[in-house]
Amino acid sequence: MVKTADKVEEEIRAIFSGDTPWVTIVWDDPVNLQTYVVYVFMELFGYSKARATELMLQVHNDGKARVSTGSREEMEHDVARLHEYGLWATLQRGDQL
Amino acid sequence: MSTTEGFKRHGDHSYIAQFADSEKEVLLNLCEQIIELLAERVDHGHEDPLAAMVGITSHDSPPEDEVLHRLLPNAYADQVDASEFRRYTESTLRAKKQAHAISMRIHLKTATDGIVDLDHDNANAWLGAINDIRLALGVRLKVESNSHEHLELLSPDDPLRGVYAVYTWLGWLQESLLSALIDDADDDAESQHGNS
Repeated sequence: MVKTADKVEEEIRAIFSGDTPWVTIVWDDPVNLQTYVVYVFMELFGYSKARATELMLQVHNDGKARVSTGSREEMEHDVARLHEYGLWATLQRGDQL
Repeated sequence: MSTTEGFKRHGDHSYIAQFADSEKEVLLNLCEQIIELLAERVDHGHEDPLAAMVGITSHDSPPEDEVLHRLLPNAYADQVDASEFRRYTESTLRAKKQAHAISMRIHLKTATDGIVDLDHDNANAWLGAINDIRLALGVRLKVESNSHEHLELLSPDDPLRGVYAVYTWLGWLQESLLSALIDDADDDAESQHGNS
């Protein structure tokens, strides 16, 4: 629940500052174990096991999931950390989803 | 020595596994190979030594090797953005991935009676290294979401059958370390909840 509130705050800040938020997308990969993907989401983003599992299932079922939102720099940082742990991630502007 | 039973949690944040000599050799060999694979692309003619010192490289195209491409993927769908990002980050990414595999190699080399004892950070390095090895093997095995049936049926004299056996064993080993770690994380989350 806290996470949702954070997100709303981020969006509102973005609206007033004129910045479009950027997003980090994780793509489905047939090699990475589901448990591993859940663990990486928990470690890198501090998500609960339930939230991390929900995102992992979204990646698995829909082929991709939006795992974080923020400034371009923050998303580049997130993508670099996800690549370090072997997840297939990209970033893009939030309005181009 | 019998074959490993995988990782188990001992006390607070200690993750222990014991490996047979043959298993240790296989893991060491894979570590060496991934470390070598991730070594910097050498392009002396075009490299600016000052830029190289701060981690900026002259190459901005994705690696041609399929395995390296999977280990060092593009960060943007847009080619111009992807190239720019790669120029500033690829060598750091290579170094970080190498560091994971080097950490794993050191633990294996210094193991007494094949016993490896990891703390939380070491465990993360192992997970990253094992995952990179699995990604590399997965590319060579052409693993796709529905290819396991086909790989299970490889003929006994197909060299890929042995590779597939290592690939699945590494998955099992990674899973054992993950169960130990995630049990931990659950406990942490619950104790925090209890305090709030």
